[in-house]
Amino acid sequence: MNTKKRILLVDDEKSFTNLLKLNLEDTGAYEVHVENWAEDAYPAAQSFKPDLILLDIIMPRMPGGNVAAQIKADPALKDTPIVFLTAAVRKHQVEENDGIICDHPCLAKPASADEVVQMIEKHIRK
Amino acid sequence: MEKPIKVLLVEDSPVDSRLLQLLLGESKTMHFSWTCVGRLADALPKLRDEHFDVVLSDLTLPDSHGFETFKSLHAQAAGMPIIVLSGTDDENMAFKAVREGAQDYLVKGKVDTHVLVRSITYAIERHRAERALHESEHHYRHLLESITDYTYTVRLQNNLPTKTVHSPTCVSITGYTPEEYDKDPDLWLRMIDPADRAAVIEQAREVSHGKMPPPLEHRLLHKTGHVRWVRNAVVPCRDQNGKLICYDGLISDITERKLAEEKLVKSEAFYHSLVEHLPQYIFRKDLHERFTFANQRFCAMLGKPLDEIVGRTDFDFYPPELAAKYQRDDRYVIGKIFETIEENKSPLGERLYVNVIKTPIHDVAGTIIGIQCIFWDITERKQFEERLQKANEELARSEAALRKSHEELKSAQLQLIQAEKMESIGTLAAGVAHEVKNPLAIMMMGINYLNRKLTTPDENITTVLKEMRDAIERADSITRGLLNFSASRQLDIKPQDFNALVDETLRLVRHALSSNEVELIREFGEKLPKVGVDKTQIQQVFVNIFMNAIHAMPQGGKLRVRTYARQLTETTHFEGMRKMDRLSIGDTAVIADVEDTGTGIADEHLTKIFDPFFTTKPTGVGTGLGLPVSKKIIELHGGSLDVRNLKEGGVQVRMMLKAHRTLT
Repeated sequence: MNTKKRILLVDDEKSFTNLLKLNLEDTGAYEVHVENWAEDAYPAAQSFKPDLILLDIIMPRMPGGNVAAQIKADPALKDTPIVFLTAAVRKHQVEENDGIICDHPCLAKPASADEVVQMIEKHIRK
Repeated sequence: MEKPIKVLLVEDSPVDSRLLQLLLGESKTMHFSWTCVGRLADALPKLRDEHFDVVLSDLTLPDSHGFETFKSLHAQAAGMPIIVLSGTDDENMAFKAVREGAQDYLVKGKVDTHVLVRSITYAIERHRAERALHESEHHYRHLLESITDYTYTVRLQNNLPTKTVHSPTCVSITGYTPEEYDKDPDLWLRMIDPADRAAVIEQAREVSHGKMPPPLEHRLLHKTGHVRWVRNAVVPCRDQNGKLICYDGLISDITERKLAEEKLVKSEAFYHSLVEHLPQYIFRKDLHERFTFANQRFCAMLGKPLDEIVGRTDFDFYPPELAAKYQRDDRYVIGKIFETIEENKSPLGERLYVNVIKTPIHDVAGTIIGIQCIFWDITERKQFEERLQKANEELARSEAALRKSHEELKSAQLQLIQAEKMESIGTLAAGVAHEVKNPLAIMMMGINYLNRKLTTPDENITTVLKEMRDAIERADSITRGLLNFSASRQLDIKPQDFNALVDETLRLVRHALSSNEVELIREFGEKLPKVGVDKTQIQQVFVNIFMNAIHAMPQGGKLRVRTYARQLTETTHFEGMRKMDRLSIGDTAVIADVEDTGTGIADEHLTKIFDPFFTTKPTGVGTGLGLPVSKKIIELHGGSLDVRNLKEGGVQVRMMLKAHRTLT
């Protein structure tokens, strides 16, 4: 009955996660769960079972790459698409690599809400 | 009237004194002036201070008695006649005084005027005669003593000496008297210096046989032991019948002359030794340019003995031109000292330098009678000086080279410092850019949300949100530029057709060209070698260069793009140009010159155009990162990017890249 797509948003910037959550949920198409600490991301993924994970790369205590590896190592979660949303890469770098950085699709910050939505729709499990 | 005769009367008895004066006063022929004293002590100072024609003195005085009185007076009055007055009782003593030098004695009471006058007159006359005799004797003795010659006569019988007579002056020369020679017949031979005896004997033998031997100079020993030089001349004498009876000899003392001669000889030897042992060449000439003297060194140089040089001139030894020059110099010397350094050629053609000093020669009267020349070889010194000068010049040259390389080093150091500065700016910028991106992302999300929530379309709010969104994009583009600048890129090098690459890039700015009314002039070289480059990077550089050119021509203009290849023969360097010189001489460079007809770059900006964030464009048009990033990209390719103002206006950007080596 719940047709909304479940999005797990992991980023240490609280203001950013608040605003992106508002934008995404405002579309009415998504249910967004936010984690601001990288080490909380995997447990949250296990319980929340997201349809897609938006993951920052540069975070204190644990980089996003490690979080992605944890998730990919879990058979229950390994097919959950992950999209990196990061200031560590530049738009042209992403473009030059056909949108894939470190085996995952990637979106360079700052991106507009529309770009994030397009990215989600492109990679989410249908 | 004749001069009165001055009389000193020494008489203690006033009566006797008066009586004598009365007696003499009666004389009709003579006049007397009197000085009378009564004591010896008064008489002596008078005699010392005045002259008297005669002294009359009593011998018995209050302060002196008898003969002592006479002795005291005689000692004091050496040049004056003294007449002693005595009583009858001491006539013997008066007589003794006469023996000792008194002129006369008179017995008091037994004299009259006549006796007295005669005695005084005779005393004066006798005394004068004695003096004259004494002086004459003295004169002749002096004369005799100054005679340095004496004669001797040797009587002969059958050519053998029988008797020898020496003249008295032999004493002054030999110290022996004629009598001594008389007593000792061998004395004359013994006193002759043993070394000279044979010669003297030979002379005597010859003259004894009637010959006329030449005068002989020899030494003899004076009685005191001193050596004296004499000249001994002999002449044979014959009687009326021509028979040899004796010979006369004249001995002259020539010691002084001999000593002077010896001194002269020594002095000559001294100067001769100097002149012959000095390392200089020395010669003298007379006023007719004839050599009068040359030292052995000079003789050796001409290769002739002295007697073949003396009397000749320079023309006998040197080529005519040189001889004429020497004589010119000589004439110049007359009246002054002349010093010069001459450059000559040796027979082997080597250059020789000679230091010459010429001075005039004067005779005793000061008249110039010739010239003297001293010269010496200073070739070695000259060569040393030349070497020194050369070394100095080389030193100066290497110093200049050193300074130049120092300046180059300094310039390289400045470039390094600049590069380091750029690196640290890049590192800083990368950090800042990353940190700025997150806040920008948050703002972007906020604006997205507000847009979405704006239910009633309000034009102002829409505008505000759009402006904010544009601002975020601008900030983002700056951070992108910073990151580009700081990134150490991995270049994707591939051989590319340079003209095609330029053409493709020009298409990207086609719109900007036409909208700014810029006319494009393409002058592409044919058959350019390929370049090994990262295509997108080089395109980015070209876009930057083209956009800068277009922005420099807001009123429109011409953009000239010229491509060509050239082998580098020198490291390029233009005035007022920044250069990155990675290309070396001999490399083939593929070059693109991009020229605009715009405003040019102010001189004070020319040094800053490669600094990050330096821009003269309005805010929002330029980030100040275009040229620094471009330069960095070209550097990574090992090429160079130079910017300069053109004389005719506008700017030329020259990109040089190495031609790709086609082996790959």
